[in-house]
This record gives sequence, structure tokens and C-alpha cells, in this order.
Amino acid sequence: MKRAIRYVPEGLVLLTLVLAPLALNPLGFSTDLLTRVLNWGLIGLGFDILFGLTGLLSFGQAAFYGVGGFVTAYLLVSGAVGSVWLALLAGTTSAGVFGLVVGWFAVRRIGIYFTMITLAFGQMAYFIENSPLSDYTGGENGIPGVPAPTLGFGADAFRISAGLPMYVLFAVIFFLGYVLARRIVRSPVGAILLAIKENTGRVAMLGHDVRAYKLTAFVIAALYAGLAGGLLGSFQSYMPPDAFSLETSGQLVVQTIVGGAGTLIGPLVGAAVWLWLRDNLQLIPGLAMLWKLVLGIAFIVLVIGLRRGVCGEIVHWWSERRNQAALRAAEARTEAIEAHNIDAVAGEELRRRDVALSLAEPATGDGEVALEARSLARYYGGLRAVDGVSFKVRRGSIHAVIGPNGAGKSTLFKMLLDEISPSSGEVLLFGERLTGVGVSRAAQRGVAKSNQLNQLFPNLSVRDNLRIAALARGRGPLRFDLLRPADSLPDVEAQIAVILDQLDLVERADTPAHVLAYGEKRRLEIGMALATSPNVLLLDEPLAGMSPAERAATCAFIRDIARARTVVIVEHDLDAIFGLAERITVLYEGRLLADGTADEVRRDPAVQEAYLGGLHAHEPA
Amino acid sequence: MPSWPVLISQAFNGLALGSLLALVSSGLTIILGTLGVLNFAHGALFAVGAYTAFVMLQYTSSFVLAIVVGCGFMLVLGFVLERVIIRYFYDRPHEDQILVTYGIGIVLVECIRAGFGGNAQRVPVPSWGQGATQLGFLIYPTYRLQLIAIIAGLLLALYLVLYRTSMGLVVRAGIENPVMVGILGINVRRAFLLVFAIGIVAVGLAGMLYAPVVAVAPDMGANFMAQSFVVIVLGGLGSFPGAIVGGLIAGEIISLTSAFNSSYSEVMLYALMALLLVLRPQGLFGTEGRA
Amino acid sequence: MSLLEVDRINTLYGDSHVLFDLSIRVEQGEVVALLGRNGAGKTTTLRSIMGVLSPRDGAIRLDGKPIGGLPPSAIAAKGVQLVPEERAIFGGLTVEENLRIAALTAPKAWTFDRIYEVFPRLKERRKSAGRSLSGGEQQMLAIARALIRDARIILLDEPFEGLAPLIVRDLVAVARDLAAEGRTMIVVEQNVAAALSFANRVYGLNNGHVVFEGTPADLTANPGMARDFLGVAS
Repeated sequence: MKRAIRYVPEGLVLLTLVLAPLALNPLGFSTDLLTRVLNWGLIGLGFDILFGLTGLLSFGQAAFYGVGGFVTAYLLVSGAVGSVWLALLAGTTSAGVFGLVVGWFAVRRIGIYFTMITLAFGQMAYFIENSPLSDYTGGENGIPGVPAPTLGFGADAFRISAGLPMYVLFAVIFFLGYVLARRIVRSPVGAILLAIKENTGRVAMLGHDVRAYKLTAFVIAALYAGLAGGLLGSFQSYMPPDAFSLETSGQLVVQTIVGGAGTLIGPLVGAAVWLWLRDNLQLIPGLAMLWKLVLGIAFIVLVIGLRRGVCGEIVHWWSERRNQAALRAAEARTEAIEAHNIDAVAGEELRRRDVALSLAEPATGDGEVALEARSLARYYGGLRAVDGVSFKVRRGSIHAVIGPNGAGKSTLFKMLLDEISPSSGEVLLFGERLTGVGVSRAAQRGVAKSNQLNQLFPNLSVRDNLRIAALARGRGPLRFDLLRPADSLPDVEAQIAVILDQLDLVERADTPAHVLAYGEKRRLEIGMALATSPNVLLLDEPLAGMSPAERAATCAFIRDIARARTVVIVEHDLDAIFGLAERITVLYEGRLLADGTADEVRRDPAVQEAYLGGLHAHEPA
Repeated sequence: MPSWPVLISQAFNGLALGSLLALVSSGLTIILGTLGVLNFAHGALFAVGAYTAFVMLQYTSSFVLAIVVGCGFMLVLGFVLERVIIRYFYDRPHEDQILVTYGIGIVLVECIRAGFGGNAQRVPVPSWGQGATQLGFLIYPTYRLQLIAIIAGLLLALYLVLYRTSMGLVVRAGIENPVMVGILGINVRRAFLLVFAIGIVAVGLAGMLYAPVVAVAPDMGANFMAQSFVVIVLGGLGSFPGAIVGGLIAGEIISLTSAFNSSYSEVMLYALMALLLVLRPQGLFGTEGRA
Repeated sequence: MSLLEVDRINTLYGDSHVLFDLSIRVEQGEVVALLGRNGAGKTTTLRSIMGVLSPRDGAIRLDGKPIGGLPPSAIAAKGVQLVPEERAIFGGLTVEENLRIAALTAPKAWTFDRIYEVFPRLKERRKSAGRSLSGGEQQMLAIARALIRDARIILLDEPFEGLAPLIVRDLVAVARDLAAEGRTMIVVEQNVAAALSFANRVYGLNNGHVVFEGTPADLTANPGMARDFLGVAS
């Protein structure tokens, strides 16, 4: 039953595609118009994976639409390839290759840079088509006489003619494209792409190769656009040069917003609105010139107010109806926790937990020293934030780094997992150099960090947050498992279940992370780092902002973790530190002040001076 | 290898196009730098400027008067857009800002189309700019020379406003840290309003001044906008000097390439941008960080 | 009536609740030090007063009139001036331009010469771009921007952080002079000795709550309290 419900969207789309020519014809949708809508919808499937899912706004999709279209059309018209299907394959592949090239540049940058780069490459493609390659593309004239595809061979071949047969062809291709896109969205890759939209930095820190995944989404979008472009020429037996124009890219963006980004079907609905308005308002005297003005105003209103678009609003309304009770209950629980400033575990007896995780030991994990810093230094201009610090973290121990404000703890910590690179010196993990590999490969090697400020995926459920983390080391930095469901890896699901239990978040598993109470968010932050099965876990101020009861519970939890893992901790709560840590490294003004057991450090006069100095000596330093 | 006279004349064309791009881009870059908004309506506003010149010349016989009135119109348009729409987007994601300005662009272009039809219009060269000027080594259209001089004057005026007035001080500080400007007692939002309007006047002026040189059509601005994106990427986002130098470089690249092979002129521009993005992503004058 | 009253404010920063029913008051001519560990809510308190952050509830009053919810520019116009932790010097502007923009909306702005008497070093560097200044010079400029506005109450956030001891000594001397002239200040500082050397009163903050209120002498007489909220090991 549950399995069947999963495929309801596919069923609805199939039903709509079958009924559309009958039901929508009287409303002004001719069969040709519907075919065009499907063509736009097909580019939209890929674009929605890029924009709706991954959050990357491209204004250059016309480039791939055009490449797919012109390569297909040229191969057919020049006679180089006889079969329309083969030409389509070649056109789609070319668009994908071009997408790989453009994407390689574009994914290096984010935000408005990304958008401007895609737009500029789109323009570049337009001008290349128009001038240097005009011998092949016909320049401003385009390529006329593109043949329609045939089914079968020789004399029996059935030529797919304009009208209903062409609609059926487009509908079949769109449906297959939709089913494929749905699988991609539900795959581990899709889950990671969505997480990238929510919090790119954290995805990298968990060990996923963010750039490669963004590039994957970019190429998928280019492939869909290329296929749609190839079909366009066959459909109207003419490949127009304006396929490459900036307007085409813009139209796709507008249609996606109108129909609803992140719904896959949204661009199709948006295209139906756009093309219907164009074809039907043009028939009304006085409105002929105004149809696009009306559309533009509607678009602005949508961007200002209803950001979800037509399909998005429907999906939102539906899920509100279904999940409202659960969400309200979750919010009520959060308020209860916050109001009493206590946590669910506070009253409970602190039980001892076994932190058994898969992926326990690294291949080279036989040394006694888990992590070693060798003369680490980091300068910012003239400021020596960290200045030649060396220490060793013994395997299986809890090691604390303390020091007054400005001592360089955060900078040091960020160098331990190569989040920032040192000006000099290096970090070794089980004897192998870690410095210079980058934060996501450091995570793959087994270093995870929970942050001082929560870095969660706020709109994903607690379970999905943990899944992004648990997928990382099991799957490696990059894997194209585009077709399997994200929740179909038994090891990963077992890992999530264990960690949910350890975090006391079992009942909150399906709650969106932003709804959680503060203490719960802190636990989830640590839990995500833990879910990667790290060999060395770095905790940056794990107790910050917690109530005394929460602190006690978290300290007990850290002790449990340390029975299976090496833990390095930065914390201001010195009482907690002296209770937890076996060894302590003290920093002062970027330098190593002391390094030893808790007792040695406690008695060290230099440490007492650094902390107490100010208070007893009344003269300023 | 093209002859020297051709190269020199193309270099002048590059200067004319480059100064125009500099004016368009400086409007784009100060809006981006101060408000954080990438204005996707910039191309449409270029067209609005050109049509404003076209309309004003119907009513006044003087090109100068037409431009003065046109500037007033652009200023008001800038105020209205900022107050009614843009200001609600300062705290929204960049993607939303891009989308809403793109929507404004569609509406502006369609308003023009509804009012004047889709066909190109001609704006006559002003009486004082007709004919050609003998420069000794080459004969060059007078209006284009004047265009270079006028735009140089306008950019100088913009420079003086930015670097010699209190208002400019606020704008330059606002590009770096708008929150601190507010902490120092200055109403940042009012400064934003002015900056937006000035940026709109700059691109509108570019449209008005260029109208006599090109066919005036509703979607004439789209390509200028794409080129001005390249310019601000070259110069560094938010950098006023970067927009000027980037504009001149872009203009010369387009013009000089077409002296060799006109079909590659635009392609070269975008190829250069791709190269620069790899080698120096912050642009010539930019610093990493913002945007 | 106190010059400034912060009355049971609750401030949230992103998803975390930072200040809980926090109340402090500052009298005319007084220097108040806010002490506490990292994350105790000191900076958030200053930012709430300045209007950079809006408290969810509670009231902030200047001369008995509410200023909560006003934008920073309006609060600055009433004579409150934050000198932020990161100093926020405009790097592309010269020292003099940094001072000029600060003086722009001040009704009774100081002259440059008066500023240069306090900070002779800034006179030497007056044509230099803000980004070329050393950390100490930047801090001087940051304080100077508040002084040139003749602010009634200056909020100093970690003024001595990351500076060399000699520079700290000079800045402490300036702060003491200002205190002696009767300028009202709130100072947040990790360098407790430096802060206590010119403060009249101390609030200790922990986890967004006020846990201590008294004079510097009260604090030194209470090492347990000091240990708890200054994070001092013993």
C-alpha cells in the first residue's frame, strides 16, 4: 500500500497526459500547443533538478537547448545520420558535453556569480551559432527541413506525423523523463542536492564532493534541455536560431516560477499558462500586444507573494492538510521544552550507551597517536592567530584545547580538519598527512566536526539530516547511484536508527530540524558529525548555550562516544573540561602555553597566570 | 592583417562602445555594490532611456532639453521602482532579487511594445552632431566623437559625486558595510533609494545618448545587459573604477576583434570572461568577499 | 531616572535564544562593564541596545523614552554609539573620510583637531586608507568615530582584543580620561583588569542571564563568582 502511494504522482501525470488532448482541446489547447508545452516541460524537468532541487539559478539553459537542437538538425539535414533517433542521441550527448564544460566554470562560483556566468555562456553560444558556425547552422535562418522520426524499418516504417502522433511521441518521452527525474530526486544524489541547497558548507564538511554533485545536476539539466532541443526541430521540421536566445532561457525561468519550482511538474504547468495566454490572448482584439505584459505582472506578483507557484501551492496545501497535526504537536513540544529550559533527558536517569557504529577503524589505524599537529601556524596579515603549535592526540582519548578568548582555538580547530589551510606546519591523521586535502576529503578520511553555531539542514527532517551525514563515508565523496532510493541502504538506515536512539531524538525523527528546541538542535549537530562514523570527532563548544541539565547529559554522552572514538574538544566551561578530558592543550595568544594531563595543567603556574592574571593584578597588562 | 586606418578607426569605435558600456555598467555596479541587488531590469531600462529620447524629441526640438527631461523621468522611475518593489527585496535571497528585477524588465519591455509597437524607431542625430570630423589621420563621425566626450564628462561627474560629496561618501561606505553606516546615524535606506535612482539615470542616459546611433527597439537592451555583466565581472563586482576600465576593455575587445574577423567579436568577449573567472575570479579591481 | 534602562529583554540570534529577561541600567556619567564567558550574551546585549538586533520582547529606554524597535540610525541620532567588536572601519575610505562620515549626522560634532588631540597617531595617518591601518590604529579610529559624534553613551565591544600590550595601555589611558570627564560608557571586555581599571560598576553575564551586579571591589571580593562566570580555573 505504502509502495503504491509513492507512485501516485507518476499515475496522475500519466492520466493527465492521456486525457489532455481530449479534455483540454475545448479550452483552447490545440494538440500542437500541448506538444509544445511538453517540449518546454521536458527542459523544465532538468532545470527543476538544477534550480528547484539544488538551488542553482541558471540563465543559460538556451545554450544546451540550442546545442541539442542544432546538432540533431545538422546531422539529419546534412545526411550524416539517417536515423532521427541516433541524431537525437548525438544531439543530447553534445548538449551534455557542453554542459560539462560550462558547468565546470559555473559551479566554481555561487549566487549571482553563478547566474551571470551561465547567462554569459548562453550569450556566447548564441553568438557562436550565429556567426562562426553559420555555415553549419544557417546563422539567422536556422535549419529548415528537419525530418520527423520513424518507427520500424524500410517499407514498414511509420513516420510520426504532426498532430496526435507527434503528441503521443512527446508524451511518452516526457513521461519517461518524468519517471527518471523522480528517481533521481529520490536517490541519494537527489537527497544530497537538496541538502546542498539548504546548507552547502555542511554538505562538504560531511564528506560529499559538493562541486562534483553540482556539476552532476548541471549536466543532467543540460541533457534534458538537449533532448528537448533535438525534438523541437523534428516537431516543427525547422530548427530556429532563437532556441539559443536569452529570451528562451528567461522564458524557462519564468515558467518554472509560475508553475512552481521544486515540483518537477511545475515548469510544464508554467509553460501551459504561458503558451495558452500567448495563443489565446492574441486572438482578443486589444489584448494582442498585452499578453506578455499580463504575464510579466503576474510573474512579479508571484515572486513577491506566492513564491511556491501553482503546483507548489497545491503540494503545500496538500501536505499542510496531511501533516498539520503532526507539525503542531512537534511545535508544542518544542515550546514546552524551551519554556521550562529543560530537556527531555534531564529528568531521566542517565543511561550508559554503547556507541557502536559501522566503519569503526581506518586502514592505517594501528598507531597510538590518532591526530598530530606539527608546528601549525596561521597568519592573517600581521596577526599571528596561531603561531607554531604542536601536540599529539592519543587514540581513544578525550583531548581538550582551552585558552582565553583570542588564543587561537577556533583557528587551530579549523586547521585540524583542513577547513582552513595553515600558513605553515601540518596535521597528521594516523601518521598520514591531512593538510591540503580539503575539508570534504578530510571527512572521508575520518575527521568530523560539530560546530559552535549549528550547521543543520533546517527544512529537512531529523532523520534526513542524519541520512546526509551517514551516506557520506559509506558511499564515498561521489557516486552516481541515481536510480536507487535514498533510504534503501540498510547500513545507513541502521546507523541512523542507532544515532537517533543515542540522541534521544527517536520521537522527533520526522520533525523538521528548524522546529526543534535549542538543546535538541545542539544534539543533532553533534549527532550529524557522529553519523559519519568518524575516527576523530572534533567538538567545538558543544555545551554552548545549554542549561545545566543539558550540560550534564551532553558530558555523559561525550564520555560514551569516547569509548569508541577519539574526541578533541574546545570548550569554555572549564569545570566540564576538567571533568572530561584526559589531556589538555592550553593556548595563549596563538602559542602553546601548556600541554599535559588535566592535573598537570591545573597546577601549571603559567596557566593560572594566563587565566587569573587579570583579576589579581590591578594594573592593566 | 587589417590596415592601420581600419585598426585605428576600430579602436575609436571600441572607445565609443566602451565608454557606453562603462556608463551602463557603472549604474549596474553601484546598485549591486550598495544594495546587493543584481539588476536584471538593466537592459530594459536602457531601452526605456532610448525611447524616452525618442518621445521627448517629438515634443521638443532640442536634443539637450530632451535629455534633461528624460533624466528627470528616469529619476522618478527609479524612485518609484525602489519604493514600490525593490526595497522589499533587500532581505530576500539573491535569486529572488534576480527574478523580480527580471520580471520588472519584462513588464517595461512589454509596456514599450504596447505603446510603440515592436518595430524599430529612428532617432535623428542632433543638429550639432551631424557630419564627420577630419582628425588628420582619419575621418570619424562627429556625433560618435561627441558621444565619447559627453560620456567621459558624465563618468567624471559620477566620479565627483562618489568621491567628493557626502552622498558619495555614504555610498562608498555603504558598499563596504551598510550596517555600520546605519550605526553611524545615517539612514541607509534613504541612501539606497538615491543610489538606485542614480544607477537608473546612468543606464537611461546611456540609452538616450546611444539612440541616434542604433535602431531603437523594445528588446535592444538585452545584449547590452549581458555585456555589462561581463564588464562588472571583469572589473570586480561593486567596483566603480572596475566598471570603467572593464567597459573600455570590453569595448576594445569587441571592436578590435571585428577588425580581424567580425564573427568572433562577441565570442572573444565571453571567452575572456571565462578565462578571467579561472585566473582571477574577483575581477581586476574587486576583492573577494561580497556577493 | 537612569540614562539607559534595559528592561527584561529577550533576544534571539538565528535559532538560538541568547538573552533571557536581561535587565541592566546605566546612570549618567557612569562606566559599566559587562563581563562573562564567550557566548554569555555580552555582544548581543550591546547590539540589542544599538538596534542592530531587535529584542523579541522587553523594553529599552533612553531618558525614560522607549527606543526598542527603532533602526540603528535613529538610535544613533539620540546619542547612543556602538564601537563594534570587529571595528568595522571602512577600508576603502581614508581615516579622515571615516571621521567625516561619522560626523555627518551629528548635531554637535567635534572638530578633527579635537579628535587628533586625543589620538595624535590618527593625525599622522589621516590620508591613509582604513585597510592599511594597524589593529591598534583601527581601534583608535573606531573609538574616534564615536567621539566625533559627541555620543552621550558609547558602547565599547572588546576594544582591547588582539592588541599589543603597549597599545592596550594607551587605549586604557584614553578610556580613563573619558571616564574622568564623565562620559557614559558600557564596555564589554575579556581583559578583565583593563576593563575594571576604569569601570564604576560591573554586570556579570552567564548564558544570557545577569548573574552578578556590583562594584569592581565586590567582584574581587567574590572569587567564587569570578571563577563561575569568568571561566577561571582554581
